[in-house]
Amino acid sequence: MRLRRRGRADRAGWDRIALFALGLGVTLFAIVGPLDNLADSKLLFAHMGQHVLIGDLGPALMVLAMRGPLLVFFLPAPVLAPLARTGWVRRAFGTLLRPRVAFGLWAANLAIWHVPYLYDLALEHQNLHDFEHLCWTFCGLLVWTLLIDPGSHKRLTVGARVALAAALFAAGQILTDVLVFTFTPLYPYYHGAYGISALTDQKLSGIVMMAEQLLTLGVCVALLLRPRWLPRSRVATA
Amino acid sequence: MSPYAFGFEPLFIALAVAAALLYWRAARRDPPSRWRLVSFAAGLFLIAASLNSPLENLAAHYLLLMHLLQNALIADVAPLLVMLGLTAGMRDALRRRGAGRLRSRWILPVWLLAWYLTHLAPFYNWALRTGWGLNIEHGILIAVGLLFWWPIVTGRLTPPAGLAYLAAAFVGSVFLGLAYVFSSHPYYTFYEHVPRLWGLSATRDQSLGGILMNGEQTIVFLLAIGYFVLRLLDEEHESELTVGRQG
Repeated sequence: MRLRRRGRADRAGWDRIALFALGLGVTLFAIVGPLDNLADSKLLFAHMGQHVLIGDLGPALMVLAMRGPLLVFFLPAPVLAPLARTGWVRRAFGTLLRPRVAFGLWAANLAIWHVPYLYDLALEHQNLHDFEHLCWTFCGLLVWTLLIDPGSHKRLTVGARVALAAALFAAGQILTDVLVFTFTPLYPYYHGAYGISALTDQKLSGIVMMAEQLLTLGVCVALLLRPRWLPRSRVATA
Repeated sequence: MSPYAFGFEPLFIALAVAAALLYWRAARRDPPSRWRLVSFAAGLFLIAASLNSPLENLAAHYLLLMHLLQNALIADVAPLLVMLGLTAGMRDALRRRGAGRLRSRWILPVWLLAWYLTHLAPFYNWALRTGWGLNIEHGILIAVGLLFWWPIVTGRLTPPAGLAYLAAAFVGSVFLGLAYVFSSHPYYTFYEHVPRLWGLSATRDQSLGGILMNGEQTIVFLLAIGYFVLRLLDEEHESELTVGRQG
C-alpha cells in the first residue's frame, strides 16, 4: 500500500495484493479453523495437508507476491533500515540463503519432524507444536526465496533453480514413499477416523504431500522454463 | 513343478537374437563405444532373462509381485538400455526408416494408454490364463517402452521439453502403482487362485507389487529428470562462456 501511495501502483498491482492475501489466507486456513482441529486430533493426512500449506503453498504465494521493489517496502523503513545496517543480520541471511544451507535445513526439518516420536510429542505439547509449524514456514520461506528470487539477487541461475526444485521433490518423495509404502501405522497418536483406517490415513498423507509438491514445484518449474519452451529448431530460426 | 523352475517365452529369445544380429551388422559400419555396446547387450539380456528364467515361472503361476517386477524391467529399464546402446549413425538409420516421424506429443498418450490397458484386469487375467497372451502383453510393453525412450535418447527434446515429457509421464503413470498399494482387494482373479508363496496373501502380494512398480518408476524417472536438469545447467554454463568470450 505504501508503494501504491508513492504513485508506483504499477509495481504493487492488485494482483500482488491478491496473491499475498491468498498466501496469508492459505496459512491462516491451515492453522485456524476446522483443518487444525482435524489435524490435531483426528487425521494424519489433514495434519500433512496443514504442513504443506504452511510450509510450501503459503510461503510460495507470499514470496511470489513480494517480488521486485515491493520487497523493500514489506517492512517499514524504521524497521528495515537498522536491520539492513546490522552486519550479523546480513551475514545470517546471507548464510541461510546459500542454496546448500537452505536445502539442508529444509530437508533436515522435513526428516526430523516426521520422526514418529517427535511428531507425536509435538501433538501432545502445544508450544512444541507451534515451534514445529514455525520451522515449516521458516524453511519454506528460505527455499521459496531461492526458487522465486524476489529480490533478483541471482543467487541461482534458472537451471540451478530447476535443479533445486527437483532436489526438493526427490527429498519429499523419500518421505512420501515411506508413508505410502509402509504396512503398519507409524504414528501411534492417530487411530483413524470417519471410517478411514490409520493405515489408509497414513497412505493418504503421503499422497497429499506428493500431490502438493507436484503442484507447487511443477508450476514453479513450468514458469521458470516458459521462456525456453520453444523447440531447438524454432529457437535457431527465431 | 517347483515354483523356482525355469519358465520360458522363447519368442523373446528369438527377438533378442535378431536384434543382436541387426546391431552387429550396423556396428560394422558404425562401431559403437564400449559403453553403448554394454548398454545394448544389457538391455537385450534383461528382456531375454526376465522372460526366460525362474522369474517367468513365478510371474506366470504364483506372484503378481514378480509379474510386475518383470513388467518394470522389460517396459522401463531394458528399453532405455537398448536405446542408449544405439550410436548416432544407428539412430539416423532408424530416423530414415520412419522413426523420424515419431513425435513425443503422441508417443506419451500411446505409452500411457498401453501401460494402463495391459494392466486392466480382463486383459491381464486372459493373458495369464492363455499363456500365449503373455507374449502379446510383454510384446506391447517392450514396444511402447522403446517408443517412450526414443525422443529422450535422440536428443530431439530441449531440456524444458524433456522435463515436461518426463514429468507428464511420471504423473500419468503413477496411479496404477498407487491403485495396487491402496486397494484392499486383489484386482486379478487369476492370482487369487494360485498357490501362495512366501506367506503373502493375494492383497499383500498386490500391494508389494505396487510398491515395487512405484519405487522403480520413481528412481528411473528421477534419474532421467536429473539428466535433463544437468543438460540445462550445461547449456547455461555454455551460454555464460560464450557471453564471456564475446565480452
